[in-house]
Amino acid sequence: MAIRANPKLIEELETYGAQDVSKCYHCGNCSATCPFSQDPYILPRRSMRSLQMGLERKLEGDLEPWLCYYCGECSQECPRDAEPGETMMSLRRWLTSRYDFTGISKLFYRSWRIELAAILLVAMLTGLGFFLFGLSQGNIHHYDGVNAFLPGEKIHFFDWGLAIVLLVLLLTNCARMWWFTIGRDKSKRVPLTAYIKSAYLLPMHFMTQMRYAKCERKRPWVIHLILMLSYVTMLILIMFFVKRMAAGPAIDWRVHAFGLAATVGLLGTTIFAVRGRIKKTENHYKHSHETDWMFLILLIVVAGTGILQFILHRSGLDMAANITYVVHLMSVVPMLGLEVPFSKWSHLAYRPLAMYFAEIKAEAARAEARASQGVRAPQAA
Amino acid sequence: MTFEPKIVGFLCNWCSYTGADLAGTSRIHYAANVRIIRVMCSARIDPTFVLKALHDGADGVLICGCHPGDCHYSEGNYKMMRRYPLLKALLADYGIEKDRVRLEWVSASEGQRFADIVNDMTERVRALGPSSIKTALATDMAER
Amino acid sequence: MEDLKIGVYVCNCGTNIAKVVDCDATIESASRLPGVAIARPYKYMCSNPGQEMIVADIREHGLNRVVVAACSPRMHEPTFRKALQQAGVNPYFLEMANIREQCSWVHEDGAVATEKAKALVKAAVLRVARHEPLERRSVDMCPDLLVIGGGIAGMTAALDLADAGSKIYLVERADHLGGNLARVDLTAPYLDSARDMLTDRMTRVVEHPNISLLLNSEVERLEGFVGNFQATIATKARNGNAADQVATVDVGSVVVCTGYKEFDASRITHYGYGKLPNVITSFEFEKMLREGGVETKEGKAPQYVAIIHCVGSRNLEFHAYCSRVCCMTALKYAHEVKSAVPGAYVSDIYIDMHAFGKGHEDFYRRSSEVKTLFLMYAKDDYPVIRRADAKDDCEMLIEVNESLSGETIEIPADMVILMVGMEARDDWADVAHLVNISGDKDGWFIESHPKLDPVATTTDGIYIAGACQAPKDIPDSVAQARAAAARILGRIAKGKLEIDAVFAEVDEDKCSGCRMCNELCPYTAIEFDAEKKRSHIISALCKACGACVAACPSGAIAARHFTDAQIFAQIEGVLA
Repeated sequence: MAIRANPKLIEELETYGAQDVSKCYHCGNCSATCPFSQDPYILPRRSMRSLQMGLERKLEGDLEPWLCYYCGECSQECPRDAEPGETMMSLRRWLTSRYDFTGISKLFYRSWRIELAAILLVAMLTGLGFFLFGLSQGNIHHYDGVNAFLPGEKIHFFDWGLAIVLLVLLLTNCARMWWFTIGRDKSKRVPLTAYIKSAYLLPMHFMTQMRYAKCERKRPWVIHLILMLSYVTMLILIMFFVKRMAAGPAIDWRVHAFGLAATVGLLGTTIFAVRGRIKKTENHYKHSHETDWMFLILLIVVAGTGILQFILHRSGLDMAANITYVVHLMSVVPMLGLEVPFSKWSHLAYRPLAMYFAEIKAEAARAEARASQGVRAPQAA
Repeated sequence: MTFEPKIVGFLCNWCSYTGADLAGTSRIHYAANVRIIRVMCSARIDPTFVLKALHDGADGVLICGCHPGDCHYSEGNYKMMRRYPLLKALLADYGIEKDRVRLEWVSASEGQRFADIVNDMTERVRALGPSSIKTALATDMAER
Repeated sequence: MEDLKIGVYVCNCGTNIAKVVDCDATIESASRLPGVAIARPYKYMCSNPGQEMIVADIREHGLNRVVVAACSPRMHEPTFRKALQQAGVNPYFLEMANIREQCSWVHEDGAVATEKAKALVKAAVLRVARHEPLERRSVDMCPDLLVIGGGIAGMTAALDLADAGSKIYLVERADHLGGNLARVDLTAPYLDSARDMLTDRMTRVVEHPNISLLLNSEVERLEGFVGNFQATIATKARNGNAADQVATVDVGSVVVCTGYKEFDASRITHYGYGKLPNVITSFEFEKMLREGGVETKEGKAPQYVAIIHCVGSRNLEFHAYCSRVCCMTALKYAHEVKSAVPGAYVSDIYIDMHAFGKGHEDFYRRSSEVKTLFLMYAKDDYPVIRRADAKDDCEMLIEVNESLSGETIEIPADMVILMVGMEARDDWADVAHLVNISGDKDGWFIESHPKLDPVATTTDGIYIAGACQAPKDIPDSVAQARAAAARILGRIAKGKLEIDAVFAEVDEDKCSGCRMCNELCPYTAIEFDAEKKRSHIISALCKACGACVAACPSGAIAARHFTDAQIFAQIEGVLA
């Protein structure tokens, strides 16, 4: 059955940052240079082709965009400057919006104004909420203790509340990703054992980003890994140790050592990325979508206010620390609330999932091959 | 050892000789049994050429000219065409098998056709064996 | 007669001959033949050092006959004849043995090929011993010309020659100049207008004092030979009642520029041409462009335009060859559609993109920059066009087995342009017959040599230019036309022209006056002297076919350079 091509799809992808896709004439230099281009995944040529022809349904079910880490070698080798690396990036944005059933992601990626407005709105509401909450509960001149402006245990409640909402959204998106890439293809039956056998891949890839290390240049992987580990460390600290983190003014090295290390990691890598994007030092920094900038700025503000309120608190400037804390929350909530389910942070979930799904599919293919051999064997005998 | 017949080919300059050259430039391989003699037109081929060739030891003679209507000299090939049945009748009287002498039209663009004709003729003549004239002459010589 | 001193030269032709034929063994066998004074191999006999070797040997060793065993005499016989002449030996004391085209290139077994080469060399040696010195004839060269066809090639050739002072008869069958180019809008790859290109030339042709333009005319007959042709041209009367005008003119050379016709798209049923109203040919699209608007039969601007390449070209069922101009024309359409209908989507369905010419690759690149969707299909795996369903946002759907993705896809289309290929005109064989040249299996006129002489034909004085020789784009047609003009001017400049010394002669002592030969000659070159009761051949008219020689019952006619003795020697040689 013929698949209906849609020449208009390429224009839709352009709103997600794709450019020059139609210049590609399929010489295959990109695939030859890509370390991840291995059967059955032809990176990035197949995605380029599907996009040129507008094979929407096929693209929705592709894992390839998630298997690419944008080292940018392909774009560098391309004789026609068709920017395959950037196409893969834009496909990741497009897929994110496809997995997201709310449609918010789509709105954000296609209009930076809407995303900015949403971030500012959430930030204002958060700021207003916490300020009023703080005034009603405690004293702005106290950072901790009985009269604390924003007591740790209350914030903890809020943390978990937000976490549950995000988790629900993210899991729904992941389920949709599964449906697009594996579930709806009725021709391939995936045995349950394959899901179990490969489950270890999820935490492994999540924690190590080891696939990224396969790219020829190692620095982007190191940067990415530091960012990831810092983020996860901070997440664990906030989710489980927020009370200890806020306690003071004495420094509790058991948690604060990790906190400081994570802060250095977050600030260092984001500043490196901002500098890179301004100076276009790396291939993957050459093209910056508005969402890339918003993501980085939010991250810097989050990390910066985080460490600032820590310092102010330890310096005895409780009121300044409280105000900084509110500002910190004003950036944390939109970053987590909007970026995790609807934008770039969702990669955290989709990438390891893609590798997990790829292995499941490979396992299913092997099982099928074994089965068909088993059928043939008696005939041969 | 298989019998390798010797065949003399008379080819007109404009169509058939050029066609044979084309077989070469196209690197079409064919049997090496035909040795080509160039004449300007198939009309130049005097029946005595054929007789001379058979007498001198040829096992076959191939005559090639332009396709009817394509003659460089308008109608030289028609003259050959009319001469040919007379020649065949004469050869039959001498007891020479009809497959030993053959008239074919090969144009300048028919390199493959020329190669096919050579291969086919070589096989046919090989099947006939050495020409009886050759053996007769040999016996004649021996008797003398 | 002085003693025979034959020099035998065996060419290795690099490895073309030497890798199959044992040249040393051939030399060795030749050196033992009667009269052979010297036998030598050389890497490239046709090169300057190769020719100089012959000249030096003739001077040093007093050679009086030369055999060159090398490529076909059709290739280098003139080269080696010149070498002999340079050394002071009659050029007809040369014989070539064709051991490349008819030996090393067609046989694989070295031993067998070597035996054949030896026999061919022996035949040449025996033949050359019987060669006679001949003198070339000199005839007047008429500087006037006949150009058949008034397309871009014909007009170009006519203008170049007319500017140089020749009188040109430009014969065009249609009632206007321009040929197929007059049907074209813009040209690839620079998107300049065909009309502009033509208008200037057409005006110059019409106004040129040296060009006699004959529209509505056809050449009915061509007689004579190089330098001295007589052409009979019939011009259709303007009104039906008047009789056609027939004129006979003298010309020295003829340039055939009869062009091509487009492939009939209805022969490929998969495309629904003639049934689906918005499936049109490239020429129909050109017409639409020239008239200024791209729209469907229903008068709407098409949202989706598909272009299908190689319609009738590059497939075994119709024409195996590439028509050369369609790829770039298709890219041109992508630009033209986009500028006529800015929001339109163009799909370009091709087999391979042949972007070989100057500026073509760059044009291909620019065409993908205007977002043309390129879809590749395999040879002989035709895309299929069908009417779309009511729910679709398009008129038609084209199913393509797309090679680059391996997917079978359906692409929407409101208008489909079929890139029809070029084919020889229906009456190519009549034209070929008229001027005594030949066509290949596709009907394209055959040139004298595909690489080294693509302008001349096998008939001296007849030249070809433009797409009548093979599919060609404008620059190639123009280049060939100007090359033909230059070739002709070179000969006109000499005033006289030398023609081959090969013709037939009657030995009056042997002639019985039976007059059998008189009727045989296709050129009426044989006259009967009633007084002497002998036939006589007018050498200037004789073209050396030899028909009379073979027919003379008295053996009174000799074909110079193809005498019975020479051919008998050759027979003996090949059978050795």
